[in-house]
Amino acid sequence: MNTPKVSSAKTNPQLSNLGFGLGLRTQHYNSILETKPNIDWLEVISENYMVPGGKPLHFLDRIRAEYPVVMHGVSLSIGSTTAFDKDYLRDLRKLVDRVEPAWISDHLCWTGVHGQNMHDLLPLPYTEETAKHVAERVGIVQDYLGRRILLENVSSYASYVDSTMTEWEFISLICEKADCLLLLDVNNIYVSSYNHQFDAKAFIDGVPTNRVQQIHLAGHHNHGDYIIDTHDAPVIDPVWDLYRHALSRFGSVSTMIERDDQIPELDELVQELQIARDITADYLSVSGKNELPKSDATVSSNLHHA
Amino acid sequence: MQQSPQTYTMLDLAQLQSEFQSYLIGHKNSTTFTTRIINDAKVGVNRRLAIYFDAYRLRIIEALATAYPKLKALLGDDLFNRIAREYIDDFPSTYQNMRWVGGNMREHLLYSIPEHPIAAEMAVFEWSLSLAFDAEDVAELRLQDLAEIPLEHWNALQLKFQPAIQIVRLRWNIIPIWKALDADEAPPALLQDSIYTSWLIWRRDFSSQFRSMGEMEAIALHMAMTGATFEEVCESLEGQEAETTAEEAMTIAAQYMAGWLQCGMIVSFTLLN
Repeated sequence: MNTPKVSSAKTNPQLSNLGFGLGLRTQHYNSILETKPNIDWLEVISENYMVPGGKPLHFLDRIRAEYPVVMHGVSLSIGSTTAFDKDYLRDLRKLVDRVEPAWISDHLCWTGVHGQNMHDLLPLPYTEETAKHVAERVGIVQDYLGRRILLENVSSYASYVDSTMTEWEFISLICEKADCLLLLDVNNIYVSSYNHQFDAKAFIDGVPTNRVQQIHLAGHHNHGDYIIDTHDAPVIDPVWDLYRHALSRFGSVSTMIERDDQIPELDELVQELQIARDITADYLSVSGKNELPKSDATVSSNLHHA
Repeated sequence: MQQSPQTYTMLDLAQLQSEFQSYLIGHKNSTTFTTRIINDAKVGVNRRLAIYFDAYRLRIIEALATAYPKLKALLGDDLFNRIAREYIDDFPSTYQNMRWVGGNMREHLLYSIPEHPIAAEMAVFEWSLSLAFDAEDVAELRLQDLAEIPLEHWNALQLKFQPAIQIVRLRWNIIPIWKALDADEAPPALLQDSIYTSWLIWRRDFSSQFRSMGEMEAIALHMAMTGATFEEVCESLEGQEAETTAEEAMTIAAQYMAGWLQCGMIVSFTLLN
């Protein structure tokens, strides 16, 4: 195991900080390889590369040779009450072996039951029993993959009368029970806080500092009465403010911007990522900490957390 | 929030998920779970659930449009969207990867718009292109590998082909239409031929390639891909098209094989005893 070059402050020292990344999108394959832009790492949607072969895996291999990569899944369905899809887990592990990602994440949600997939990140009721169930399944996945995974808080549009705790209490309980890590999506916190009228800062203040391994930032679409998490626009100022708040609690954390629709030229996203770099630099200079990740960080791909 | 947390069980969660999923799929009668959703004056339970109901469809419609761009152009947005919505109702996804969701489009089109048989053929062609696109990677066999086989052993030669290869049989002028749409040009008028033509799809340099095949080549390739030896392929060609002789069949089969090799379609060979 190689020692990570950068550690995040106020967190478990075994966690590493990759710096500032972007979600890898097919439109940017060539620009990334040709221009080697100022991106520290890339996140790939696991399912897009769980195919037999061809161009997607070819580009993934080439980009992986140049950048640290993390894998982000959308179909694990960790909260389902029916059994895991064994083929999916097998294919996921095969991809992990190929990519050797710094870490693997999926969403704290369910996506379908009885062998069907709704291809959506559906909300769970926040109860003790649900947390116990999810934690058990996280344990199965972590044992199967031989490493800890990250769970991401999702944007939600409905909540349940049966919930007995807040979302952040629910997440904290699962992290504790399953000994897993957190991918904190600051935009999703904003979206859900708007949709369910809770205090977004209370969410950030309510999750354990030593579990946050990665932060997502993204844009969304505000319909007035509610917000839809569309990932088709730049990050808005209130979300940047929340990001500042997150930094003040978690210290510098591996941060990336997700764009899944209306995808602009790579330069535009690299520039947007600079805002995250600047905010982090400001935080670090004010807080007197000296742990800014290098922009050309060459962090090992073998950052074991298991 | 509920005041008696101990009453919530795994059975409740399982029932909630089953009913929520039924609602999304479109079984709107089974909606007792909606009483488990917090209702509010600002948005209300119906609009909140409609967000999920619509998102499920829009996401898969987008995936189908990505898998079938020329079919969409051929049908137009309105008809394509109607077809896609019906498809989602008839074939709820059982795939973890959205990439495979559109695999039943041909049969769906055959019974949903039988008056437009060209649509099913376009779907078959586009799906085959996509199968070739991300099929398993394999190394190509080199010409010199085959050249080293002594002539007397050729009859026992059995070939293995790249997994990307697809063979589709089309009766409509799908290819000129596909090419025109791909070039953002107006497609030619729809034409149906009296006979089917076999089209060969394979992959080279990470791009899907295609060309038409004569019936004799289609027979030879089908035989070779299903494990026939060179001798058996030759025998299948004898008597075809103007009474092909055994000697001619051998020459023709060797030419086909050379063509497949040049295209990078052959990956290995075996000499059967």
